[in-house]
Amino acid sequence: MPDLDDLTRRQLAKVLRNAPEPAQIDPDLDLVEAYGLTSLNKVLFLTSVCQAAEVGLDTFTEDDLARMRTLGDVVAALEVHPKKG
Amino acid sequence: MTESVLNRIVARRPEHAGTLTVAGLGGTRTMPLAEFHDRARAVAGALRREGFGAGDRVGVLAPNGLEWALLDLACLMIGAQTAGFEPGKFGAPGELVGRYDLAVVFCGGPLDGDTPPGVRPIAEISGYAAETPAALDPVGYGPQECTTVKFTSGSTGVPKGLAATVGSIDSSLHAVQALFEHRPGDNLLVFLPLSLLQQRYWLYSALRWGHDLTLTTYQSVFAVMPAVRPTVVMGVPGFFNAAKQHLESTGQAATALFGDRIRYLWTGSAPADPAVLRFFTDAGLPIFEGYGLNETCIATKNHPGAHRPGSAGKALPGKEVFLDADGVVCVRSDHPVNTAYTYAAPGESERIFKPGGVVRTGDLGRIDDDGFLYVLGRADDVIVLDNGKKIIVRPIEARFRATGAVAECVLFCPQQTELVAVVDPAPGRADARAIAAALGAVNAAGEPDERIARVIVADEPFSVGNGLITAQFKPIRKNIRARYAHRLDDVKEGIHAGSR
Repeated sequence: MPDLDDLTRRQLAKVLRNAPEPAQIDPDLDLVEAYGLTSLNKVLFLTSVCQAAEVGLDTFTEDDLARMRTLGDVVAALEVHPKKG
Repeated sequence: MTESVLNRIVARRPEHAGTLTVAGLGGTRTMPLAEFHDRARAVAGALRREGFGAGDRVGVLAPNGLEWALLDLACLMIGAQTAGFEPGKFGAPGELVGRYDLAVVFCGGPLDGDTPPGVRPIAEISGYAAETPAALDPVGYGPQECTTVKFTSGSTGVPKGLAATVGSIDSSLHAVQALFEHRPGDNLLVFLPLSLLQQRYWLYSALRWGHDLTLTTYQSVFAVMPAVRPTVVMGVPGFFNAAKQHLESTGQAATALFGDRIRYLWTGSAPADPAVLRFFTDAGLPIFEGYGLNETCIATKNHPGAHRPGSAGKALPGKEVFLDADGVVCVRSDHPVNTAYTYAAPGESERIFKPGGVVRTGDLGRIDDDGFLYVLGRADDVIVLDNGKKIIVRPIEARFRATGAVAECVLFCPQQTELVAVVDPAPGRADARAIAAALGAVNAAGEPDERIARVIVADEPFSVGNGLITAQFKPIRKNIRARYAHRLDDVKEGIHAGSR
C-alpha cells in the first residue's frame, strides 16, 4: 500500500508552478485558495493521484470531488477506498 | 437551404447505429440514439399530457445530464421553446419564471419545501422517459421560427437573451458538417454547459449524421476522457490551457489524457494562445480555432481543408465577414440568429444588429488576402493613453501568458498614463521573481507605449465561483477591475517594471 500522504504531496508538487519540495506542502491548506489550483487543474490533479494510488476513479462522484478541498481531504478520501484489484 | 436538420431529427427516429454516452465520475451510461429518440418521445408525450406545447417556453437550470438532453429534444418535438440557464449565473429559479416568461423551469439538484410555482426537479424527466413513447403529430418549423432562447455569457455585463432561429441553427449544422464531415465512428465529446446552444448542436448532429456523442461535465471531463477515447473534443482555450499545463508538468503524452483516437480538437469562444495551439499540433492533435458570438453563431472556422494558425479561419458557408470603417468585424448571415435581442436593455439590439442580417461584433480584426480572419481584440478593450495612442490589450496579455509565469493576465489603465496588469499566477503560490522577470520580457518585446508599469498579483485564482471568469473561462474585465480597484489605483501597489 503506497504511503498516500507522500504520494499526494509528490503529485501536487508536480503540478504547482514553483515546484515546491513535497515536504513543504501543508495538507490543511485549501488547494484552490492557497495553492491556486483552478477547477480544471484540481480535477487533473485528482485524476493523477487516483491513477498513482491505483484507486478507481469511478469510486468518486462529482460531489466527492467538490468536498476535497485540502490535501488532507484527498488522503482521507483515498484511504477509505481499496486499490483496484 | 437544403433540408432542415431540426425538422428531420424531430420527425424521424434514427436508423443509424450512433450512440449517446453520458459519462461522469459517478458512472457511465450508453444508449443507442434510436432509443434516446424513443425516450425523448416519451418525455414529449408526458409534457403534452400536462398541457405544455407550442407557444410555451420551458426553462432548464441544471448541470449536463441525460435529462437535459431528453428535455431539449422533447421540447423540439412538441413545439415548446427552451431557455437554458447556466447554473450559478442566474437568480433563484422562481425568479426566472416571471422574468423570462417561462411556463415551467426544470432544475437540477434538490428543491426545498418552499418550491415556488412553476419550478420542478429535472429528475422528473427520468420518470417520463420510462413511459411508452408517444405517437406525436410531426412538428414542422419554418426557418424564421425560434426553438430556444440563449443567453450571452455575461463576460460583458448582464446576460442578454437571444431567440435563435431554426434557419440559423440548420445553417450552422450544415456548414460544420461540410467542413468536418462527422461520421459514424466519430465520437464527439461535449463538456461545456448544455445551456450554451452550440453544445446542443452536437446532439442534433449525432441524431442526423449517425456519429456518437459523449456528454459529460467540466468537473468530470479530464477524468473520463482517457476511457471515452473521443475522436473530437469540443473545448475552449481555458480547457486546452489546463491540459497543456498538466501534460507539461507530468511529462505524460497527450494520448494519456485525450485518448488515442483524436481526429481533431475544436476551440472557440475566445482567442487561443499560439503556444497552446503549437503544443497540441506538435503532439499530433490537430486543433482548429474559430470565431463567433452568440449573436452570429459560428462565423469563421479553421478546418482540415483551410487552416492558417494564428487566424480564426475563413467565413463559414452562408456567412460573410468584413470590416467596417473602424476596423470592427462585421458578420452578415444568410440565416441570421435573429435581428434583435429578446431580453436586453434599451438600445442594446440597435448597437449590434444592423440591417441586412449584419451583426457588428465589437471586435477589431483584419482579413488577409485569402479571406482568413485575425481577431485583434475587443474595440472596448482598446486603451487610449493620454498621449492619444490606442493600445489593443489582447496581444500584450497573450504575450504575458506565454511567458508561463501567469495563467491569466488582464490589462487596465487606471490613471490613463500607464498600463497595469492584474495577473492570476495559478497554479501554485505566486512567484514574484518569475513574474518580475516575465514583466521585463513582455516589455522588452513590445512597443514603448505598450509598456506595463506594474503587475498586481491576484489574491486568489480567477474562477467561475468568484465571478472573475465565465463558464467558458474568459476573464470578466469589469469584475476584475472592481475587485482590484484599490490596488489598481494605488501607484505603489504591485510588482513594478524594473524591480528584481
